[in-house]
Amino acid sequence: MRATAAADTQSGTLVLLCLASWAVPGAGHLWLGRRTKGLIFLIALLLMFSIGLATHGRLVPPGAVAGLIDLSDPLVGLMAVADLGIGAAYFVASALGYGAGNVRAVTYEYGNTFLIVAGLLNLLVVIDAYDVAMGRK
Amino acid sequence: MQSHLLLLAIFAFFVSLVFAVIAKDTAREQIRLGGLMFAGFLGSAIVLGWLMYPLPL
Repeated sequence: MRATAAADTQSGTLVLLCLASWAVPGAGHLWLGRRTKGLIFLIALLLMFSIGLATHGRLVPPGAVAGLIDLSDPLVGLMAVADLGIGAAYFVASALGYGAGNVRAVTYEYGNTFLIVAGLLNLLVVIDAYDVAMGRK
Repeated sequence: MQSHLLLLAIFAFFVSLVFAVIAKDTAREQIRLGGLMFAGFLGSAIVLGWLMYPLPL
């Protein structure tokens, strides 16, 4: 009984850790006491995301994920999943009106690439934080 | 900021940095792996760019 309760508490903490790590890049590492790594992830990923916005990249609306599920527009669905990977910054930028994208801008594709890769790298950082919490690293 | 080469270099820098910090634990190993990846990104982009030069799409 005690072992089950402890396991539940641990899994609950792990879920919270992963959610925090997704919402704020590097937060999971900061939580686990790996300050340098956490700060590097926080600064590098938010800078990549900001550069993506500054170079007129487009943030795909979260609803576009449906295109991945019903296969009507799988590539845009995948792009939405990648964009959402950056966490809270996605919603803050969208709420402030950033990320509309300007397809005529020379740097439009660069902007999209920065936004997508920042999100995907953050998902890798979440997995790394999970591994650290599990004692695998 | 419209220089493609500058944007490519910035992109390569950040990706190399994050991968190196994820993959390695000591600063020395991180700098070595990050430097190798950054050089690989830039070098391969420049070589591919020149290879594509005579073959415009």
